[in-house]
Amino acid sequence: MKLEGEYVFSGARDTVWEVVRDPEVLSTALPGTEKFVLVGENEYEGKMNVRIGPVSGTFGGKLTVTTAVPPESYTLIVEGTGKVGFLKGTGDVVLVDQGDDTTLMKYSGEVQIGGRVASVGQRLFDTVSKSMIKQGLDQLNTVVQARTKSD
Amino acid sequence: MTKKFIGKRIKRNEDPRLLTGQALFVDDVEIPGMLHAAFVRSDYAHARILSIDVSDARQRPGVIAVYTAEDMGDEWELGPPLVSPPPTLEDVIFHSRRQAPLAKGKIHHAGEAIVVVIAENRYIAEDAVEDIWVEYEPLPVVGDIEKGIQPDSPLVHDDLDSNLAAHIHQRKGDYEAAKAKADLVLKRRFFIERGAAVAMENRGIVANWDCRSQQMTIWDTTQAPIPIRNGTAARLGLSENQVRVIAPFLGGGFGPKMMMFYPEEMLIPWLSMKLCRPIKWIEDRRENFYATTQERGQIHDVELALSSDGQILGLKDDFLHDTGAYDPYGLTIPLNTQSHVMGPYTTENFSSEIKVVFTNKTITTPVRGAGRPQGVYVIERMLDLAAKELGIDLIEIRKRNFIPPEAFPYDHKIIDQAFVPLVLDSGNYKPVIDKAAEMIGYEDFVKNEQPRLRAQGKHVGIGILPFIETTGVGPYEGARVQIETNGKVNLATGIGTQGQGHFTSFAQVVAEQLGVKVSDVRIVTGDTSEFHWGTGTFASRGAVVAGNAIHAASKRVRQKVLKLASKVLETPEDELELEDGMVRVADIPQQSISLGELAALANPLRGAVEPGTEPGLEATDYFGPKYGATAFGVHAMILEVDPETMMIEIKRYITVEDCGTVLNPLILEGQIHGGVSMGIGNSYYEQLHFDESGQLLNASLADYLIVTAHEMPSRIEIGHMETRSPFNELGTKGVGEAGAIPVPACFAQALENALQDYDLEILETPLSPNRLYELLYKKE
Repeated sequence: MKLEGEYVFSGARDTVWEVVRDPEVLSTALPGTEKFVLVGENEYEGKMNVRIGPVSGTFGGKLTVTTAVPPESYTLIVEGTGKVGFLKGTGDVVLVDQGDDTTLMKYSGEVQIGGRVASVGQRLFDTVSKSMIKQGLDQLNTVVQARTKSD
Repeated sequence: MTKKFIGKRIKRNEDPRLLTGQALFVDDVEIPGMLHAAFVRSDYAHARILSIDVSDARQRPGVIAVYTAEDMGDEWELGPPLVSPPPTLEDVIFHSRRQAPLAKGKIHHAGEAIVVVIAENRYIAEDAVEDIWVEYEPLPVVGDIEKGIQPDSPLVHDDLDSNLAAHIHQRKGDYEAAKAKADLVLKRRFFIERGAAVAMENRGIVANWDCRSQQMTIWDTTQAPIPIRNGTAARLGLSENQVRVIAPFLGGGFGPKMMMFYPEEMLIPWLSMKLCRPIKWIEDRRENFYATTQERGQIHDVELALSSDGQILGLKDDFLHDTGAYDPYGLTIPLNTQSHVMGPYTTENFSSEIKVVFTNKTITTPVRGAGRPQGVYVIERMLDLAAKELGIDLIEIRKRNFIPPEAFPYDHKIIDQAFVPLVLDSGNYKPVIDKAAEMIGYEDFVKNEQPRLRAQGKHVGIGILPFIETTGVGPYEGARVQIETNGKVNLATGIGTQGQGHFTSFAQVVAEQLGVKVSDVRIVTGDTSEFHWGTGTFASRGAVVAGNAIHAASKRVRQKVLKLASKVLETPEDELELEDGMVRVADIPQQSISLGELAALANPLRGAVEPGTEPGLEATDYFGPKYGATAFGVHAMILEVDPETMMIEIKRYITVEDCGTVLNPLILEGQIHGGVSMGIGNSYYEQLHFDESGQLLNASLADYLIVTAHEMPSRIEIGHMETRSPFNELGTKGVGEAGAIPVPACFAQALENALQDYDLEILETPLSPNRLYELLYKKE
């Protein structure tokens, strides 16, 4: 399954870069996150509650950031498993400085899901994941705005 | 002789019980102290099992036992092969790979059982399933049969060189020579996707090992109780007489309940013996989508060589068949496809190579139609294309190729799925297609109605095509008929019942011989303690094979009745008649004796039974046909499609069936209605969607679309013709699958006809509104 989208942050690229790489911020921003910690260089471990239509459950997993080019781009590798199935994905994130103190984020990726999430939830997976990303990014944007103001 | 009961529209004996909730289904079985099972099933289609942690589950209060493959120790063994490969052909390759009770080491398809939990109730068992943690190493998945057969494909079974499960090539005549002489050679590729059977009742099993009486009783949603009994006894080291298998009322079978043995069928009785407790397992709907077998799934490369007047000179059909992760059912489905691709047509030159491919998907075994719809689809689509190319009418091109009535029994000169020569017993095809054409008003529709509607901007199309259905195959079935002292008749037969109306149609066969009321025949089907010889309900064989066994046993009881009555009434046998539960002297009806009184006389309390005679009015007999009985039929439909929304309305639906002697037209029509609805599903709605990693994406009835009343035509008009089978005394042919078989082909024909402005060629099934949209508007 493909995931693709764009988002405009109301802040400079450097600020955005800091925020999107900060585990503490991420753990509060991503909806349903129970735990999100940095465990090694560019490696995070987390736990997340997900509800997709009739399927809900906790996913435990790992997020690895590879080929990070601060503050322009990075690649994410996500792997999660839970009682309701599994999830595996890679995504590319690009941050574009728009010159007016806003930053455009472009993301695109491939996600593979299995188990109950796939067999019963796939019809809703697209919508749910999009809304979760949107919620998460909105939350990050609030942090970006707050940091921009305090600078 | 005019029939009194056979062929009559008699209401079903079983319906009052079914309609008032008094029929026993497996899930109705409640036994004090009964435990419940739930399974951990694989989320991955292909993976190595690295570790299984069941420690938390074992700690959960109410959990009685947790078993993995390792925990089964030496008692872990694979399921038996259900059908062996054909021994009669040269160069047959067949790699038998069978399902395990619990997966060991490697997972071969999503939904494969890994751990079984036994608990005090299902809630606890399901919670304990959530406690279990399985660690996997995912492996590359074989999802597509075409890619799966390539040399660089990942392997489903590591010990094989490739994913080729089986290979078989059947030929007759010389296809290449025929092709060289042909005026027209058409070549096409067809894709046929997977669907599910979706019986209303999922699978289920209750096993009760009684340690004290050393008896095993199993209630199982199986179409084959006797083989389940025999196999269970063998697996558990018991005498066959210690095992009783009951297949009570089933909410539909459609083929997948014929799989022997499902992992659950191996495990639950074994666990009941281990724990000395009754155990119940009832499949849920999601499990049904993964763990119950499926069908269709083939890719055909077809060549049809014709003369300019539309005569078939030769046919070549090489195809790939998806068997899923294992192949316990042998070559039944692809051989059935091969048998039906020549269908009702004289085909002198034929070549067909089958490659069966392992994939990381659920096993395929017959689902109503069992390979036949694929064969019918291929040949009928090819004939439609040929008719168009040669400018011959759709009906005419078929008539020109029909096997003529005087050619029967007709040997197609290949072997069929039962490994016997494909001999069509009888048939008279032209009158059937003429009748269907007349019923649907073919000529008038094409000449007047369609142009008129098209002028109004309506996209209406017609389809009409024939099919054969090989039915009533061996090896045999049996029956025991007994007249009781109350004058009622008891009939026991080994085959199970899944809604076919056996309690009525079989009673009619008995009543015909014994002159009793149909409602006075008490029937037991599918209980091995009542009758323990036979195979099962499959391949549209109940009315043919069991029906004729019942007929034979009833005749023998009739002979006993006449012999005894002749003595009692002091009248020669040929002057006696059996009517209204009495034996009467034909001319003097007041001189009579009831069957009940005769039964009492046949089992005296005092005196001596003559040497060489048997007590009672009872007989057991069997029927085993050498060849099957081949039914024939024509379906026709008129549909309208909206090329903007892709929504379809079937305006009229006609079937004309020739299934030999009809036992009960009411039941036959019910079979046709159900079959047609499955066929419509197979045409436009029902498809199992797997992603590239072997994940089924529509494993719920919210996403997997089964046909509802809305998609059905408002009426199905049914016509009957009767060409009796010469190979059995009743003259019956099967009809259980007939309704489903030709529908996808007829649907494609009608849809193409409705969309004739779009230059559409339909070479795949099932379609869907989305897929039709792609075909119409996304052409490259």
